[in-house]
Amino acid sequence: MANNHSPSNSTALRDGSIFRRVSHLGSARNGLQEWRLQRLTAIALIPLGLYFAASILRLATSDQTTAAAWLASPVPALLVILFVFAGLAHALVGLRSVFADYAHKRATLVVADLIVRAATIVLAGASVLAVLKIFLGR
Amino acid sequence: MERPLSPFMFPTWYRFQITSALSILHRLTGIALAVGSILLTWWLVAVAAGGDVFAATHALLVSPIGLLLLFGWSIAFFYHLCSGIRHLVWDAGYGFELRSAYRSGYAVLAATVVLTVLTWLYVFLA
Repeated sequence: MANNHSPSNSTALRDGSIFRRVSHLGSARNGLQEWRLQRLTAIALIPLGLYFAASILRLATSDQTTAAAWLASPVPALLVILFVFAGLAHALVGLRSVFADYAHKRATLVVADLIVRAATIVLAGASVLAVLKIFLGR
Repeated sequence: MERPLSPFMFPTWYRFQITSALSILHRLTGIALAVGSILLTWWLVAVAAGGDVFAATHALLVSPIGLLLLFGWSIAFFYHLCSGIRHLVWDAGYGFELRSAYRSGYAVLAATVVLTVLTWLYVFLA
């Protein structure tokens, strides 16, 4: 059936039926969602990352008591958890787009995808548990 | 003509340009930082575990290899941060002219050096 909707960019996103038609497209098959998640986490990671980088490069070589004392205070504990979540979500979308470009076989793509998803969940879980253990056990 | 796929375009089919080099560097640093997140989790777990696990992690981090990893992480991080901001500006629709693309590219490199140096000065002096 012929479609008379305007193809112009300004109306496309506002037009429900056009949005529905494209919302499952793209390499990730979920339309704009991954693109949006990548940008939102990127913006969040500007302040979170600067804070984290300044803190971690000093603490990485410090003793356990100093590092634990840092993670036991509420603001660093919260910001580290947020940094881990935003960073891993950002990494997941990024790695998936790398695979989409360079994995030329469907099977490779699916396996690589499962591995990074599993790794992301394990890393996020382990990081949060570690921070919570230090934070709650002070 | 056999058409080459994307990863093989750069050395053979394209003349070197700072813009394309920075673009692939954004990806490479992104991948490096994703791998680095394993080390970050490891460190957090080591701090939580304490004892021998932390001692072993600490010994690695203060070794020359550990310091090199941290230094590499900081360069990759600051480059990806600055280059990412450049990408966000492009997403907003600005800076596409060749002149501004080159300018912002050199600005990203300069900002990476400045941020890396300032951070390590802060680490050693504070």
